[in-house]
Amino acid sequence: MRSGEAVALRPWRRTALATVGLYGHFIRLAFLKFLAYRLRYYTGVISYTIFVAGHYYLYGALFASRMSETGLEKIGGLTLQEMITYVAVSWIGRSFYFNNIHRDLSRMIEDGSISLQLIKPYHVQNVMMFEAVGEAGFRLIMFSLPIMVVVVPVFGIQAPPDPLLLLWTFVSFCLALVIYSQFNFLIGLLAFYLKNIQGVMRAKMVAFDFLTGVILPFSFFPEWFQTVVSWLPFQYISYVPVTIYLGKRSGDALAEALVLQLAWAVGLWLTARWLYAFSVRRVTVQGG
Amino acid sequence: MTGSNSERSGERNDPPGGESLIRVRGLTRDYRLIKKREGVAGGLIDLVRPRKHTLRAVDDVSFDIAPGEMVGYIGANGAGKSTTIKMLTGILTPTAGEVSVGGLVPWKKRQQYTRNVGVVFGQRTQLWWDLAVVESFGLLKKIYEVPDDVFAAQMKTFNDLLSIDEFLHQPVRKLSLGQRMRCDLAAALLHRPRVLFLDEPTIGLDVVGKENVREFLREIRDRAGVTVILTTHDLGDIEKLCRRVIIIDKGKVHFDGDLEALRLRTGSPVRLSVELRDPVASARLAEVTAQLPVRWQEAEGLQHVAEFRRQDVSGAQVIETLVNGCKVSDLHLAEPAIDEIVASIYRDPGKESE
Repeated sequence: MRSGEAVALRPWRRTALATVGLYGHFIRLAFLKFLAYRLRYYTGVISYTIFVAGHYYLYGALFASRMSETGLEKIGGLTLQEMITYVAVSWIGRSFYFNNIHRDLSRMIEDGSISLQLIKPYHVQNVMMFEAVGEAGFRLIMFSLPIMVVVVPVFGIQAPPDPLLLLWTFVSFCLALVIYSQFNFLIGLLAFYLKNIQGVMRAKMVAFDFLTGVILPFSFFPEWFQTVVSWLPFQYISYVPVTIYLGKRSGDALAEALVLQLAWAVGLWLTARWLYAFSVRRVTVQGG
Repeated sequence: MTGSNSERSGERNDPPGGESLIRVRGLTRDYRLIKKREGVAGGLIDLVRPRKHTLRAVDDVSFDIAPGEMVGYIGANGAGKSTTIKMLTGILTPTAGEVSVGGLVPWKKRQQYTRNVGVVFGQRTQLWWDLAVVESFGLLKKIYEVPDDVFAAQMKTFNDLLSIDEFLHQPVRKLSLGQRMRCDLAAALLHRPRVLFLDEPTIGLDVVGKENVREFLREIRDRAGVTVILTTHDLGDIEKLCRRVIIIDKGKVHFDGDLEALRLRTGSPVRLSVELRDPVASARLAEVTAQLPVRWQEAEGLQHVAEFRRQDVSGAQVIETLVNGCKVSDLHLAEPAIDEIVASIYRDPGKESE
């Protein structure tokens, strides 16, 4: 028996305009959601400031002893002022791109509510990415800017050599947001295969802070380590945008860095897309 | 009758209207499970060589559902009904078999498919936990591209039938279970789907809540002509809403047909309660109905109860004989409750009606 005309469901495709409208709506809703919980972020401004202050005094002592022992004023190619700026800019950036997609996604997989995402005419990867954009917008206004206002004058953070670099740094951090979010999405997907991914998530936190260059600039590490990380995408989350800010990349080097960053963002997006489709097809969704 | 009587699964594939909206053929789903060994040594062996075995949750299920039908899909825990619903909604891919809903395969082209169907899982909400209900509906309007006039009309219907305007501005997490279920039903129907899948829509609700949901579903069935598949534990839902039931056990379809046919087939006895004008012993009544296959419960006095099977004798015949034979003041004929029938199918799946 054939399903006749009368009982056929109508094929349907969302227009480009409607797609923009829909995902724009998700950005807005995420922004509003975080605004509702804003109280918990006020304390965050303080803790980030304390963190930068700690580094300020630590590096101050470190550079002073280096100076008195060897007469050199640079460590790993950076002056004290550059070092402090490096730390401050990376942590201000981190306060912008940070999110917990991996935790949210793994929870959805563990309790089975991912199935509710499969019965909606949208893609959960897009939804989570645009929610992350909404969250980043909230973080920029409620978090990154207040930290900047406090940290920049207090610790004498350097301005970039060219004011235009400020714009490129922001562009670079926006691409970092995509890379960071897609990494998190991929890690969250591991919940399809592992019973418990708490350990993985904790390891990820530590590994990321090292591999992205948030804790220390790569020039502090041995040669081989620098070679390895230069082939990995992690540097594009923090090291690359911060070195753009410091003026270590200009002209062609700047363009190359941004293009490679974009390529990694697209590549990770596609990888996550593929792994999601593969996992959903293959793995049993738990619970009803 | 033998096990392959006319109401067995597989033979009721063509719905009465001829055209089917939902077409399921040979649907099968296996789960790979690991059987754990006991103790420390067993745990270590499991690491190296796990004992895998396959569980067939859904086994060669076939049926057709015509547009506008409301079908009850029932079975015990683990019978395979949720797995079937997951495949019909496209969440799970089957191991074998095919499903076509209005020409679309649920697990392929998901976005196209899900645009046309509505799903309610009684166990979990699809609304956004932190958002006010009205924000959730606004988001669904965007997701499904519901035009403004349709949206307004639908919201009016939901207000009339479910009174959701009472808690439209509260966040979902603050709703009671009954309120939440009303919202979930409305959310599933907002985009006017052609097909609605309801997985345990009354689970955990109190009597009033259940009645509200049933009332609403009846209205929707009559007004919108939406095709509904409903799984439930609560056979009251089925009795109030569905003419047709599909019973599944251990992954296989055990029965597919009208509720009435189900009553007939299982041969559960009908109960006739009689109140007489003069007290007699039940043996006397047995003499009156001696020609008919009727069994009387031992009793003395005015109240008596007879049991008989519909396929052996009609109620009218029993009552006629009785009224002619003795002075009856009142009669009450009780159909076997549907849950009794289903329980009898589960107790003895091999033996259909004798």
